[in-house]
Amino acid sequence: MKKKNTIADLLFNNRFWKSVFRHDYPDNDLSRSEAMTSNLFLHIQSVKVHTNTIRPGYTLGLGLISFYLFIILTITGVLLMFYYIPSIERAYNDMKDLEFAVSYGIILRNLHRWGAHGMVAFVFFHMCRVFYTGGYKQPREFNWGIGIVLLILTLFLSLTGYLLPWDQLAFWAITIVANLIGTSPPESILGASLRYIVVGGREVGQNALIRFYVMHVIVLPLVAAVLIGVHFWRIRKDGGISRPAEE
Amino acid sequence: MDKKPEVVIFPKNPSKTYGLMELIRTRSFQIEKGPDNTVTSWPHLLFREMILFMFVFIVLMIISILFNAPLEEQANPSNTPNPAKSPWYFLGLQEMLSWAHPFWGGIFAPTVVTIILILAPYFDRSQKGVGVWFAPERKIANLLFTILVVLAVGLIVIGEFFRGPNWQLFWPWNMPSPH
Repeated sequence: MKKKNTIADLLFNNRFWKSVFRHDYPDNDLSRSEAMTSNLFLHIQSVKVHTNTIRPGYTLGLGLISFYLFIILTITGVLLMFYYIPSIERAYNDMKDLEFAVSYGIILRNLHRWGAHGMVAFVFFHMCRVFYTGGYKQPREFNWGIGIVLLILTLFLSLTGYLLPWDQLAFWAITIVANLIGTSPPESILGASLRYIVVGGREVGQNALIRFYVMHVIVLPLVAAVLIGVHFWRIRKDGGISRPAEE
Repeated sequence: MDKKPEVVIFPKNPSKTYGLMELIRTRSFQIEKGPDNTVTSWPHLLFREMILFMFVFIVLMIISILFNAPLEEQANPSNTPNPAKSPWYFLGLQEMLSWAHPFWGGIFAPTVVTIILILAPYFDRSQKGVGVWFAPERKIANLLFTILVVLAVGLIVIGEFFRGPNWQLFWPWNMPSPH
């Protein structure tokens, strides 16, 4: 890059910029490919993509929207953890505090709640898109399977979060689901044990709350994050996003 | 075509790992739209991704400013609401619970559907119509999947809007108040 003494030149053509990004501002083919390959976060995507990949009418951006909601949920979730104690004495009051005492606490909670509903919906829409465009077929069979597992994980992430406000809505919804788990045959052996493991006792109480909390803030997000990584990596390994055969 | 060794443009010499492909007077024949119909991810893909993120975040923020997340009274094990409903995405299962032994609707059906979905690409092996929305070559597969989607969404809608006290059917506009 030659010195041109423009503002862009001042910003991008200096030692600090180069020390961070290790390449010039991406305005030619070489630096554009370096922008992808020399960046830890971007290099899971290829340097070049097929024009069908960036056609909004093909993917509708549904998978990416699901991922963005996951990111927003992770960030708002960590912030909510500063204000929330998973104890049946305190949980409900913490929700009230978020609404009335914490600055912008209600916005934080709304972002997390509506984002979670949105993620369930958009992961489902994304699955529909992949099916209706035939994207699940060879060589993407395995990634389709990972996607189904991610849908189930999303449902369980949402369900475990549903109990945490410890209001009537939360308590009885989880009681129904716990009773449902208890019907796995043979009920007296497997069903009862499964229900006991999930709830941590006979009734939904403190043990259930801490179990759902730990699953919700650590176990399930960690598994989901790893599988999302595999899911993205496999898109690339399987030849990019599905597209019509070239004539 | 006669082959003269000195004018062969693409020599097939197995000991060479490279060969002259073509000579053109231009910056690069891949600029913007190469012969393989690709574009550089920066900026074409990444800018679209960034715009989509901003769009998602702004829409979610507007929803969060306008509508508050529900919060009912504190959990009370001795006060059972009628009807007690699970989260909306499990209402299809809860709806099926009311038909037969809960195991069939609540555990068996979703497990079978999940297994069928995961195995679908191993049975549906034709490569026709890949990469096209609602390809006519895939009519049967799309029809079966649509039946599944309509069932799943329909059951959720019934469970959410048409089930009232004692899990009886009501029209949404006649729904008795839950308390």
